[in-house]
Amino acid sequence: MPEVEIQFTVNGISRKICTAPHRTLLQVLREDLGLTGAKDGCSKGDCGACVVVMDNRAVNACLVLAARADGKEILTVEGLASDGRLSHLQQAFAEKWGLQCGFCTPGMLMSSYALLLSNPQPSDEEIKRAIAGNLCRCTGYSPVIDSVRHAAALAREAGHVW
Amino acid sequence: MSGNVIGVPAPAVQYRQLLTGAARFTNDLPMEGLLVGKLLYSAHPCARIISLDVETARSLPGVAAVLTHADIPGENSYLYHIPDQPLLASDRVNYLGDAIAAVAAEDEESAQAALQAIEVVYEPLPGAFDPLEAMRPDAPVVLPGYANVIPSALFECGDLQTGFAEAEVILDNTYYTSWIEHAYLEPEGALAYVELDGTIVVYASNQAPHRDRMQIARALKIPEHRMRVVTPFVGGAFGAKDEAHVQIHAALLAQATGRPVRIVRTREESILTHVKRHPVIVRHRLGARRDGRLTAVQIEIIGDTGPYENAGRFIMGFAASVASGPYHTPNARIESFAVRTNNPIGGAMRGFGGPQVCLAYEAQMDALAEELGLDPLDVRLRNALESGQVTPMGGIVREAGAVRATLEEAANNAGWRERNKIERQPAAHLRRGLGLAANWFIIGMGRGQDNAGAILEMATDGSVVLRTGAVEMGQGVYTALATMAAENLGVPLEAVRVIGPDTDKTLDAGPSAASRQTFVSGNAVLRAAAIIRRSLLETAAQETGLPIEVLSLKGGRLYAEGELLNYTIPQLAAKATFANRPMHADGYYAMEFPEELSTKSDYIGVGPSAFGTQIAQVLVDVETGEVIVEKIVAVQNVGRIINVGGAHGQMSGGCTMGTGYALMEELIVAEGRTLSDSLESFLISTSLDAPEIEIRLLEIPEPYGPHGAVGIGEPALMSTAPAILNAVSDAIGVRLNRIPLTPERVLDAIEGAKR
Repeated sequence: MPEVEIQFTVNGISRKICTAPHRTLLQVLREDLGLTGAKDGCSKGDCGACVVVMDNRAVNACLVLAARADGKEILTVEGLASDGRLSHLQQAFAEKWGLQCGFCTPGMLMSSYALLLSNPQPSDEEIKRAIAGNLCRCTGYSPVIDSVRHAAALAREAGHVW
Repeated sequence: MSGNVIGVPAPAVQYRQLLTGAARFTNDLPMEGLLVGKLLYSAHPCARIISLDVETARSLPGVAAVLTHADIPGENSYLYHIPDQPLLASDRVNYLGDAIAAVAAEDEESAQAALQAIEVVYEPLPGAFDPLEAMRPDAPVVLPGYANVIPSALFECGDLQTGFAEAEVILDNTYYTSWIEHAYLEPEGALAYVELDGTIVVYASNQAPHRDRMQIARALKIPEHRMRVVTPFVGGAFGAKDEAHVQIHAALLAQATGRPVRIVRTREESILTHVKRHPVIVRHRLGARRDGRLTAVQIEIIGDTGPYENAGRFIMGFAASVASGPYHTPNARIESFAVRTNNPIGGAMRGFGGPQVCLAYEAQMDALAEELGLDPLDVRLRNALESGQVTPMGGIVREAGAVRATLEEAANNAGWRERNKIERQPAAHLRRGLGLAANWFIIGMGRGQDNAGAILEMATDGSVVLRTGAVEMGQGVYTALATMAAENLGVPLEAVRVIGPDTDKTLDAGPSAASRQTFVSGNAVLRAAAIIRRSLLETAAQETGLPIEVLSLKGGRLYAEGELLNYTIPQLAAKATFANRPMHADGYYAMEFPEELSTKSDYIGVGPSAFGTQIAQVLVDVETGEVIVEKIVAVQNVGRIINVGGAHGQMSGGCTMGTGYALMEELIVAEGRTLSDSLESFLISTSLDAPEIEIRLLEIPEPYGPHGAVGIGEPALMSTAPAILNAVSDAIGVRLNRIPLTPERVLDAIEGAKR
């Protein structure tokens, strides 16, 4: 099968890869780039464990062909912390126990990140809608919603965005 | 009540790895030369295998191995309890999840091609798909050599006939629950390889690493000490990963090929093949006086357990143990059965048979209140179990103060006594209702094996390594154990590093199941900590010349009767080490059963009790049948809060899972075939469905609990579904007896009442 060449930015680093055209962004991230933060929970867009941010929007990486990411900017959970320091969003999830087993957490974080990019002070209803595609079987969601609300407050206090 | 570390808000100890993507789950583990493992599952729920030909598959390019039952060196059995479930089927298949062959190949495509090239000729046989039909003498035998009916428990106390004769009202109702998929976000998986010295290593998403080691070793026919099982990060389990899935097959393939092999189930495979929560039929007959006092209870529990016994006998046995609920029942007969069918395997899931019977006894309490014109709260308070009372299975509940306390706390917080003031009909098509449900759960494995080891080590700088065989699967056990270690060693939580299950490095702690690890491993940690603490204090006494009794450790410092002394724990740790005082220790704890706790049950239902109460407020659309849970007030006695975020997380997660159980979760199984085979067709709550939950945790200590703590993981879910069912009944004025309460069922109930 002829391969396609993809050039994109992942967590701020420019990458060029060749891959079979049927492979998904999730497969390329996990298998070719070793970025296993995004998870495969269902392979068909039902669970949201694979959510990454592509050009500032949350997408299910299992439903995006890798070739579609050509020229795009991708942010995964591995790109949230900088110089070993957790972002406000990660810090808020830690403090509010917005995670338990942690398998849905990378997707949950990235959906929340995309929300806060476009809406830095979301209402609870807006938070719920933003993570409605991210299934979580452990927390019951309210700790996650608390975390995102807390992250917005931390960022506001610190006077900067993500 | 917080200590220096206990009860003080703190993140989960493994938060940094989980929040940065550094945490490696089974499917994330890097490995050179890894083969892709896959299993061929049965095409029929019940059939004879006429022929099985794997030669073509073996000859395909990229295929490293294709194994059948003939290639298993040791026992072809999961060996969970009795050897009735083969790892690879030989002459017949008994449900859709039976594996027939195991494949290892260089890549996904080659593995798929191999599966397709395996030739199996089946002769479909008539199966048994309804547990009541399967109980009949003329029903097809599900598993040759085994009876369809597995009697699981029979508990009798008092005199049933006299009890019913004394009754002024008798209510006889039957309740039904459905098949439930665990739907953890991480499907089952395992990675196996062979070490240079021949040791077989298996990383598996599991709940019981030491039991895994035994099961795998027996199938591979190797001694257990040549087998190592490691538990990496686990993406949820809820009971299902307490039972082996693909770890034995992965190990067989690694042994056969000498190469590393990983098997990770797809979501569809996970739903079709692995264990589910039993659908249960509970016939509940109660007798009571006009004042609401129970005089007799007769309960029959029938669980569809699929073709293999697995944990079915124990789950139905546990269901019987707690079937009378947190109520004093002097005259009772409780009997339970697991019934073999050609449906999915019934297995452990959060509550272990408890949620099904809780639905029945709590619906019955409301039915009784309605019949007598009494307040449902008063009926429950009148019958509330008290400390020292004997339960139908013959056990004594040592601490039952929380039954009354949680009922009253929930009622006060939900405005129960003023509930008639709520707006019952906020719009023409809407009805509002409130429902109450208490629960009783018994922590631990009962009289069977129920012990744990833990290893603690304090280094010369005062930092601590805690090695535990208890699996962390999101429930917070690492944090709970680290917190107790820190509290007892006088160090901050950050000074403790937890090393999780690895049978080469950690001691058997038994399964992370039965809400037992905080209790059992927690006590083991306390025992290990006591030895190191003694070393520190003896050293401090020697250094200061003060008597040991006045000394204490806190926040990394030494105190004498509350006064800070000029010694740090790192200084004391270094001195104690050089003075040859023990600075590492094994703690061992086995569940203690006081003599008076004699019981007729050999293996279940005699541990410490947990009690809780939940009240749900719902809004029912009487035109569409839709139910909206407006609020849940959830009160649970945890004995002692070890970590407040963790405890609250268990409650909110439990209540949300329970809300799904009540309203939407139902695996559709028809003639042995699971039709809802995705997360698109088996629905769980999303953020938009989750109710608002007000959580109240009580701290009535359990006498044997570490710092008074009891488990919370399973109790958290028990009351939610019955509270919602009772609330919907309250809203529409019709008694209900089956969950989930789908819109169709709610409308049928409303229509039925009109006729």
